[in-house]
Amino acid sequence: MPSALLRNTLLIAKREYLERVRSKVFRITTLLVPLGMGGLGMLGALSGKKLEGVQNLAIVSNNAELAQEVKAALDEGAFPPKQVEIFAPATDADETLVKSQVASHQIGGYLMLETTPGETQPDSTWISGSSINLVGKAQMESAVRSAMIREQLVAKGVPASQVSGLMKESKLETKQLKGSAVVSSDSERSFLGAYGLIIVLYASVLIYGINIARSVVEEKTSRIFEVLLSTASSDSLMLGKLLGVGAVGLTQMGIWGVLLVFYAGSAMASTQGIHGLGSLGITKAELGFFVIFFLGGFYLYSALAAALGSAVSAEQEVQQFSFILISPLVVSVVLLPYVLGNPNSTGAVVLSLLPPFTPIIMYMRICAQMPPLWQVWLSILLLGLTVWAMVWLAARIYRIGVLMYGKRATLPEMIRWLRYS
Amino acid sequence: METLVELDHVSKSYEAKAAVRDLSLKIEAGSMFGLLGPNGAGKTSTIRMMIGITLPDSGKVSLFGKPFGDAALKRVGYLPEERGLYKKMKVIDQLVFLAELRGLGALEAKRRAQLWCEKLQIAESMDKRTEELSKGMQQKIQFISTLLHDPELIIMDEPFSGLDPVNAVLLQDTLVELKKQGNAVLFSTHRMDQVEKLCDSICLIDRGAPVLAGGMREIKSRYERNRVIVQFEGSDAFLKHPAIEEYKSYVGHAEIKLKPHADAQDLLKTAAATATITKFELVEPSLEEIFIETVGGRADA
Repeated sequence: MPSALLRNTLLIAKREYLERVRSKVFRITTLLVPLGMGGLGMLGALSGKKLEGVQNLAIVSNNAELAQEVKAALDEGAFPPKQVEIFAPATDADETLVKSQVASHQIGGYLMLETTPGETQPDSTWISGSSINLVGKAQMESAVRSAMIREQLVAKGVPASQVSGLMKESKLETKQLKGSAVVSSDSERSFLGAYGLIIVLYASVLIYGINIARSVVEEKTSRIFEVLLSTASSDSLMLGKLLGVGAVGLTQMGIWGVLLVFYAGSAMASTQGIHGLGSLGITKAELGFFVIFFLGGFYLYSALAAALGSAVSAEQEVQQFSFILISPLVVSVVLLPYVLGNPNSTGAVVLSLLPPFTPIIMYMRICAQMPPLWQVWLSILLLGLTVWAMVWLAARIYRIGVLMYGKRATLPEMIRWLRYS
Repeated sequence: METLVELDHVSKSYEAKAAVRDLSLKIEAGSMFGLLGPNGAGKTSTIRMMIGITLPDSGKVSLFGKPFGDAALKRVGYLPEERGLYKKMKVIDQLVFLAELRGLGALEAKRRAQLWCEKLQIAESMDKRTEELSKGMQQKIQFISTLLHDPELIIMDEPFSGLDPVNAVLLQDTLVELKKQGNAVLFSTHRMDQVEKLCDSICLIDRGAPVLAGGMREIKSRYERNRVIVQFEGSDAFLKHPAIEEYKSYVGHAEIKLKPHADAQDLLKTAAATATITKFELVEPSLEEIFIETVGGRADA
């Protein structure tokens, strides 16, 4: 890189960086986003606590033994209730009493269990003052079912001491082969990693990509760009802008990252089941690839934004074009389940090598099952080359923009202008 | 004298429209050069080719005796007609940034910016944001940003448009001073009155092609002193004199164009007989008249 190009690129990057970092908008978003995220986290924690079954209920049955079994099953279940009152064998008066308790909200509801001699399944009905939630329904169903099985096992002569052992739920543990090491993993985590990247990439493209497009358009509408073009090459102008605005994004991400590390190690996080970043299950290699693909994606979309900004003549038009900017990300999101299911299929390999999709799809594949290294490096190389080509194109479009006044150039027009300049 | 800019039979077209046709000109160091022409004549296109923003389709452009190269830009100060500043940036930061792009160190840029702002009487605005300044003040900032790196070739496209007379004179004087120091100044304008006073040589272009070029004195000497300005009191009957080809009559003031080789003295005698003459001046045609005569009445300047 010739020294003048480098010097000017750095000067322009410095200006873009300082102007933005000093702005109020930067300070506000840097503070507000973590606050908002924290708020969302708290909200999540709160609504997580709400996930519970029915707390107070009654069991009304003509079969005292079954009622006891169901109560025991409820107590052993995933959502043990606080209080269960049994009316068995029940009289009409009992039922009237229970109904009035439901009406006055003393209990959440009552379970009617009626067995008929000769039939294996009891008629079971849940009656409550409000519609039951999914947890409550599962709570009741599994209690009744396990009580029935237990009763039948006992009836078939299985000793009661063995019944509990037989009734224990089995848990499936999933492990993943990474290289030669078996690590505990699950597809949810691969998803989580990719979604993390999507969210971060999406947000930063929306904020900073659009920002780049805006700043290009601003230079055009304020007509400072003819002055700039008469002092520096359009390559250094575009490159500098990309690096400068990019550095602003990275600064902000960095601040958030540090906040996240502090948060993950804090007492508040441990109440939410997070103990340091390690417990989120992110390996160092994955973190490294995260950074690489974030930067690659960020610069690719930013360069695209710069090219779009160069092609339009008014700021309102930037908004209209932001869809084009986002669409590869949206397509990546739509294709995620397919790639997760078939990380090494031809389709997934091809997609992960196509630069607009590389950041998310390739990162997803890395999280799901490490692809052959050559594919990873090839995708990074292609991504880098595309970024370079995009910057080159944006610089050309920017330069010919000086010849266009107040109208948006059509594509054929732009190709012709490219020839003239 | 050193030739800073030379265009050699340069042509440039956009789409089907020829912007510049077979134009040749030279700009010498220590001179003020006027590039004139009606709107859309190709002035800006010509300037853009001089400093490499666009390339000519044919012909040769040389800057400081060499074909155009990026390094030459550090020796050029260009104030485009369509000019702007970063609105949100502080004036001093802006000046330093633009000067740094042209190769100055930050400290030196700041020192010079300070000096220039004092010289052009806007030192008190240096710490303001550009958008807080009036248009005229922004124009002065642009003017300063063009000159901070002490360019040998100063190119100004309509530099005085939108300025009040006091500030226009301030900038004019500055340019004359720079010229005396040996810099070359290229003016592009359709305001003939300014050029007439300031420029040593001109090139008049119309529809992309040069129609009149040369030294200012030499060009004007090609034209006969056949314009008469008369100030009078009394009857304007003398305007019927046979020596007069055409005239414009205002209150007590007439501008007369004589027929070729007509006798102005006879006109004076006739006029003095019927009116009191307070002024009778025989002048060369103004550049504006030459301009209109040359490009025809079409000029929308």
